[in-house]
Amino acid sequence: MSNTEKRLELEIKELGTAEPRGEADEIIIAVSPSFGVQQRETIVGLPHAIVVRELAAGVEEEGFKPRFVKYYNSSDLCSFANEAAKLSGSGISIGIQSKGTIMIHQRDLEQLDNLEIFPQAPLYDAEIYRKIGKNAARYGKGNTPEPVPTLNDQMALAKYQIKAALLHIKETELVVSKKPPVDLELHIKEVAE
Amino acid sequence: MKRSKRFEVLEKRPINLDGFSEEWAEVGLIAMESEYDPEPSIEIQSGVVMEMDGKRREAFDSIDLFIADYGINLDNAEAAMKTDTLQIARMLVDVNVSRDEILKITTAITPAKITKVMSHLNVVEIMMAQMKMRARRRPSNQAHITNLEDNPVLMAADAAEAALRGFSEIETTTAVSRYAPFNALALLVGGLCGKRRILSQCSLEEALELKMGMKGLTSYAETVSVYGTEAVMTDGDDTPWSKGFLASIYASRGMKMRFTSGTGAEVLMGNTEKKSMLYLEARCLFLTKGCGVQGTQNGSVSCIGIPGAVPGGFRVIAAENLMASMLNLEVASGNDQTFTHSDMRRMSKVFMQLLPGTDFISSGYSAMPNYDDMFAGSNTDCDDYDDWYILQRDMRVDGGILPIREEDAIGIRNKGAKALQAVFQYFDLPEITEAEVEEATYAYSSYDMPKRNMVEDLKAAERFLAGNTGFDVAKALWEKGFQDVSENVLDMLKQRITGDYLHTAAIFDEEFKLESALNDPNLYEGPGTGYQISEERWSKMIQKENILGPSAL
Repeated sequence: MSNTEKRLELEIKELGTAEPRGEADEIIIAVSPSFGVQQRETIVGLPHAIVVRELAAGVEEEGFKPRFVKYYNSSDLCSFANEAAKLSGSGISIGIQSKGTIMIHQRDLEQLDNLEIFPQAPLYDAEIYRKIGKNAARYGKGNTPEPVPTLNDQMALAKYQIKAALLHIKETELVVSKKPPVDLELHIKEVAE
Repeated sequence: MKRSKRFEVLEKRPINLDGFSEEWAEVGLIAMESEYDPEPSIEIQSGVVMEMDGKRREAFDSIDLFIADYGINLDNAEAAMKTDTLQIARMLVDVNVSRDEILKITTAITPAKITKVMSHLNVVEIMMAQMKMRARRRPSNQAHITNLEDNPVLMAADAAEAALRGFSEIETTTAVSRYAPFNALALLVGGLCGKRRILSQCSLEEALELKMGMKGLTSYAETVSVYGTEAVMTDGDDTPWSKGFLASIYASRGMKMRFTSGTGAEVLMGNTEKKSMLYLEARCLFLTKGCGVQGTQNGSVSCIGIPGAVPGGFRVIAAENLMASMLNLEVASGNDQTFTHSDMRRMSKVFMQLLPGTDFISSGYSAMPNYDDMFAGSNTDCDDYDDWYILQRDMRVDGGILPIREEDAIGIRNKGAKALQAVFQYFDLPEITEAEVEEATYAYSSYDMPKRNMVEDLKAAERFLAGNTGFDVAKALWEKGFQDVSENVLDMLKQRITGDYLHTAAIFDEEFKLESALNDPNLYEGPGTGYQISEERWSKMIQKENILGPSAL
């Protein structure tokens, strides 16, 4: 992404502790401890600014409201995504780690279950993140959408697993156990290279 | 710098697409022998472990405590802990020392001690020891059966073919988890439509996996994961006790199961307490033993990119398989994940388990092209069958599967797809068309299959699971004219009552006879002993259509 003329940068402001709002049209997009701050792009260099833009756009296209919440207490995706689903007024959340691994969760499911999971972060581009945003909102309406097509590249692991481990170690070092989740205010800025 | 043409060529070789890393002991990114690993020790007072591996009982975490209380045979612990680690290593490769004699020692030592034993062994010695310490006499193999679309018709056909090739177990998982009941059903019906009684499982979130097992849609479970540090264990909302509880639920329903663990998992999850991968895996295995579970799937499994990236990676993976055998556990030894772009490297990895033989050499082998393998690709796939067969033939080694004829494969695939079609009809599930049966019979992959209506399938799958059990499936098959398949399904359900297949390393042979560490143990004691390939089996292993004979010339 570094050779594009303008770079997108994410500005993140932490608001207060995230409390339930009971709004049936909200989808919580739960981000991990280093998302957009210490780590600013996915494992293949897709800027978090674009990820955030696409997820939000996907949710909004279905007439729902994205609400970004940061989780400090875990870097484990199932764990904070499920927590977020329980907080979400629609009962649906999207959880994402800094490296780009992402899932759609629902409040009544077991923590280790999910509605849709996308475990191969190196394969995901802006388009996939938009589709995930859309589908999350469709679940929020009580629909049963066609799942986002599954991508599988058996070589991704050979190339990226060790990098994924190191990124995750860095992220996990920032976990603050028992610290409550906080609402985020996000702005996407264009920066000239 | 002016480039060397040779170095430019080398740079483009597949091996250089792989990810490698330096050791980094502070985050546990080290195969074995870390300076942060504890020194072995044990202190027992009135039958209670007061100190283990340099830690006092009051400082134990939950995993230490569980291992100390349940994982070690304390009767022999003080004597075993006094035996020098080098001496134990030498006993492992000495054909004059029996497996039983070694088990008395190795089940009575601590995780730090067994880790130290491994540090004395080179890879050939590890393989020699593995040949002796494997639980079941005959090595076998497991296959993955999945596809990108969760297409059940294709899965039934693939399961049928896998059984014909001789796999003893088949494992599925989902692309979309709500498809799970159909995936399990496809393996149950397809896998049992030939002669062989194949065991089948569906890897899922643990509660759903258990539910499908209890309903008789699967016949064993494998993906019950344990980890070597408390932080990673609790990330999965678990404790050693909750895992033990889950294991006992399976046992109480007469269902085979094994745990899963492996080097690299704690690194990948970001919590290693600075310990080496092998030491943490030793803790997992003693924990598994302490839960009373009969076996393990280990050998780094889906985390192989981690040990595979550091020096000594293959050695540590072979060592962890061996450690499991040294605790008298059944071993399904990995080789189930793509981890390299290099064909030389991936087969070298397999040899370390194929040559000595493990209870399941792969766990599992992709029965489809790798892009359809929803475990993110296996180390070997359906394109590698002939390589595998010829390697068995070249080395007179039994890798658990046999060559088959194309017409037989077509026949059994067709039967698998038709049987599933009939079951879908019986339960009023979304129709499986004749065109789908035809495509599944001759297909290479899910790309050949007509698209199904996923939304309708997902709704029907949920409805099916709520109302039916394996017994209903047997009934459906019977009423739809598949009496032989119906009897096979029923036979697998009867196993829940007799419980024979709860014994360590249990599988079924072609005549539905049980082979396990109890009735058919590995008694290797040097050349001419242990598992020998029968002449009948050897004659099947060496047959291939493109092999010249005198009559052809």
